[in-house]
Amino acid sequence: MTPRPAKNGILFGIVVTAALLIPAAGAFAGVIAPESGGGTPNAEAIRSLYLLIFGLGCVVFFGVGGLIVWTLVRYRASTGAVAEQVRGNNRLEVGWTVGAALLLVLISVVTFLKLDQIKNPPNSSANGLATPQNISFNTGPAKPSLPPNGRSLNIDVNGQQYIWRYTYADTDTNNLNNVFSYEQMVVPTNTTISLSIRAQDVQHSWWIPELGGKFDAVPGYTNYTWFKITKPGVYDGQCAELCGRGHATMVASVKAVSPAEFKLWYAAQKAAIVASEKEAATARNALVAKDAAALKAAPKDAAAPAAPVAAVDGKEIFVAGVPATGALACGSCHTLKDAGTNAAVGPSLDAILKGQSAAMIKASILNPNAILSKGFAANIMPANYGTSLTKAQLDALVKYVDQAVNGK
Amino acid sequence: MTTTSAAPTTQGIPELVASSAAPRPTGWLSWLMSTDHKRIGIMYIVASWMFLVIGGVEALLIRLQLAVPDNTLLSPQTYNALFTMHGTTMVFLFLMPMIAGIANYTVPLMIGARDMAFPKLNALGLWLFIAGGLVFYGSLLFSPAECGWTCYAPLSETAFSPSNGVDSWIFLVHLVGVSSFVGALNIFVTVTNMRAPGMSWGRVPLFVWTMLTQAILLIISIPVIAGAVTLLLTDRHFGTHFYDPSNGGSPLLWQHLFWFFGHPEVYILVLPGFGVISEILPVFSRKPIFGYKAIVAATLGIAVIGTLVWAHHMFTVPLPFFLMIFFMLGTYLVAIPTGVKIFNWVFTMWRGAIEFPVAMLYAIGFLATFLLGGITGIFLATFPVDWQLHDTYFVVAHFHYTIVGGAVFAMMAGLYYWFPKMTGRMMNEKLGKVSFALTLGGFWITFLIQHSAGLSGMPRRVYEYADVNNLGLYNMISTIGSFILALGVLLTIINILQSLKNGAKAGPDPWRGNTLEWFTPSPPPVNNFDVVPRVRSVEPMQDIRRQIERQDRVGEEAGVGAGS
Repeated sequence: MTPRPAKNGILFGIVVTAALLIPAAGAFAGVIAPESGGGTPNAEAIRSLYLLIFGLGCVVFFGVGGLIVWTLVRYRASTGAVAEQVRGNNRLEVGWTVGAALLLVLISVVTFLKLDQIKNPPNSSANGLATPQNISFNTGPAKPSLPPNGRSLNIDVNGQQYIWRYTYADTDTNNLNNVFSYEQMVVPTNTTISLSIRAQDVQHSWWIPELGGKFDAVPGYTNYTWFKITKPGVYDGQCAELCGRGHATMVASVKAVSPAEFKLWYAAQKAAIVASEKEAATARNALVAKDAAALKAAPKDAAAPAAPVAAVDGKEIFVAGVPATGALACGSCHTLKDAGTNAAVGPSLDAILKGQSAAMIKASILNPNAILSKGFAANIMPANYGTSLTKAQLDALVKYVDQAVNGK
Repeated sequence: MTTTSAAPTTQGIPELVASSAAPRPTGWLSWLMSTDHKRIGIMYIVASWMFLVIGGVEALLIRLQLAVPDNTLLSPQTYNALFTMHGTTMVFLFLMPMIAGIANYTVPLMIGARDMAFPKLNALGLWLFIAGGLVFYGSLLFSPAECGWTCYAPLSETAFSPSNGVDSWIFLVHLVGVSSFVGALNIFVTVTNMRAPGMSWGRVPLFVWTMLTQAILLIISIPVIAGAVTLLLTDRHFGTHFYDPSNGGSPLLWQHLFWFFGHPEVYILVLPGFGVISEILPVFSRKPIFGYKAIVAATLGIAVIGTLVWAHHMFTVPLPFFLMIFFMLGTYLVAIPTGVKIFNWVFTMWRGAIEFPVAMLYAIGFLATFLLGGITGIFLATFPVDWQLHDTYFVVAHFHYTIVGGAVFAMMAGLYYWFPKMTGRMMNEKLGKVSFALTLGGFWITFLIQHSAGLSGMPRRVYEYADVNNLGLYNMISTIGSFILALGVLLTIINILQSLKNGAKAGPDPWRGNTLEWFTPSPPPVNNFDVVPRVRSVEPMQDIRRQIERQDRVGEEAGVGAGS
């Protein structure tokens, strides 16, 4: 990867000087050169490219600066110097134009030589995590930076005011079921990690200095980068694009652990997701049971005003809601064939309520977040139906939906 | 180029005098209503220095907040507003009007014109700029913008910046933009049509060349930023979605439009500085400028290439790979004409007889500072390296080296150089040298160490940072430097105020200058010149001095002959 010795003696001299400066520069890591140290090849390549330019820059700065100082001292008026009335020299003009151009050609050539190592990820090492073939979010037309064999651990990085969310794509197409973490990303060593970087509000920028360059998370776009860490450890970074008042506190870190440890962590995370789903299911069942008990008790309590129940039209509530009390119409978000609605904000009720009990339907209306359908997020459906509908209206609605779906 | 004027020899011996046809009007109202390019120039400069003081205080507050890690002196809201106002003020309300002021004053004088082509338009430009400043600082009364001087969307959209601070920023850009635009038209028309007889394009002073080039850059880029902020305004208030990704808009559209203006803006700020340096170095080296044509060619080359490299500010966004390579190589190309300029400046001093008044010291400070700023530009142009350095304190250091080194130091040199012409009085050289030493030293202490802060992982625009990788030490050094720098600037302000009253009388040509402004009294009368001399070279004043010497000699010989 070192530049070929140029025929031009001066150029060669510059390269040698630069080469001598590079080890000297290593002694002042962080003072004069970007961070590296995770052993990821892209960061190392960027650093060595930086040091080459740094060396050439020093030669130019001290060369031209020295010439300026020498000129000022040697030709100061107080020495009685007589100004020579020359107006230019075409040879010199051509000389420094070509000289500057050659220097830039040199930097360009080295940059192109390094590009492959910076841009294209290598395969995971044999002692890395055995990763399946290219599982990632479908986030855009471009493909993530994948190693030659197409096997890397793909992580979706999502910038939000003011935190980073990492989702580990797996074969479950519902991303909500994937393992995730906030702020700290855990990765296996010696494994190629491909990142898809996105933002969901304003622009952010993903940057862990020791793991290579920064990549902006732009809303509406997906950006890609990768790293492959050889040294276990925690690598810190933070958001590098102004994203609001909390910009300075939007930190990120990558914790590199051995593949075995990573598997344990991953399994624990997955188990935690399953456990929390179970917890939600238990809570839901408790609610259903409570409601069922209430239903059983209802006829005794409400024996007298039984008549108004019939007067309430469940279909009417479904289609139009009860605007007076702030109960939104179910049909504006859900598909229900019987009511003639076909919205898709929420899941289709014909599909998800098939075979469910009336108690379950009622519980789902009252506590929409207790159990979520695959592919739909929490807190989208209002949770105010317990207060915005009267008991009679609610019962009528449940009865109507149950009949419409299950034909009872 | 017109050569129809009568030959100046019919006017007799050129004399270093000019007289005003009418008495000079006095009183503050005569200033407010003036269309005299010299008074407008001075008002531009005075107003821009008021904004310099404001922007400087904002900078010191920023440095105070960053002096120690995890500081709680300022809230994040205040801090974000401060760096937004600092950047906006220094670019739009200090440097651009400062350059406009110097150019307004000197360009007509340097080309032997009696005023600008459109004097009323000139006054309009001044008052639009001042209106822009007032509108922007009016937002202090509610809540100033917090989106940085780049005001990236969607952060600057109403969803994330609901306060009207962004709107006042938009109106500032519009007002100052129109001000610069009409100013640029005026400069362009003046320089192309009103040059002294004999001043062909090969004899136009280099500062005028750079102002002409700057005018063209402004005419190209101002409409683009005006359009960009108008789209932002309609996004914010009229329901459009130009920059809103959730409705088919694109945040990258803002970045492309902003930097299509923003990068030429860098050359809009530094090219006039290059011009000032090209005027001052030959005068105080007592040598002609080295490679006049090469410097002109480099100026035009920088302008052309500089207009085509904007996306090097966007190497970290998702951009097609071949575009990154195109913008990297294009940016490298800028280094060639810039290098040509630097070498020509050094060889202008080479084998000269160099004098060191404060103006020359600032020019030398410019050379050293801008040299480093140019070199770090190559780091940033190399896109993989930029991936590490982008949006860190390395970039903050880089652009202060280029803008302060390239534009501010050059304008300080120009101020010390032309102050005697504008006021008729010399500035205090001793105080000036102390001020220069503090300004240059303070600048290097403040910003050199910021490269290291950036390399150690400190992003820009953070109101606090953890004390890792020596960041606390670096920032403390930087803060100390900033106060030294501020003291240096303060001494120059004191120097200006003192010299206005007590400075030694300057006379028409205190520096033995090369260009026509030194041909008229200091300060010049309203009509500038009674007689516009025929220009025969790039250094018309040298020709005039030589002619006077010759005629004195002839006169002496004649006198001797008569006496004997």
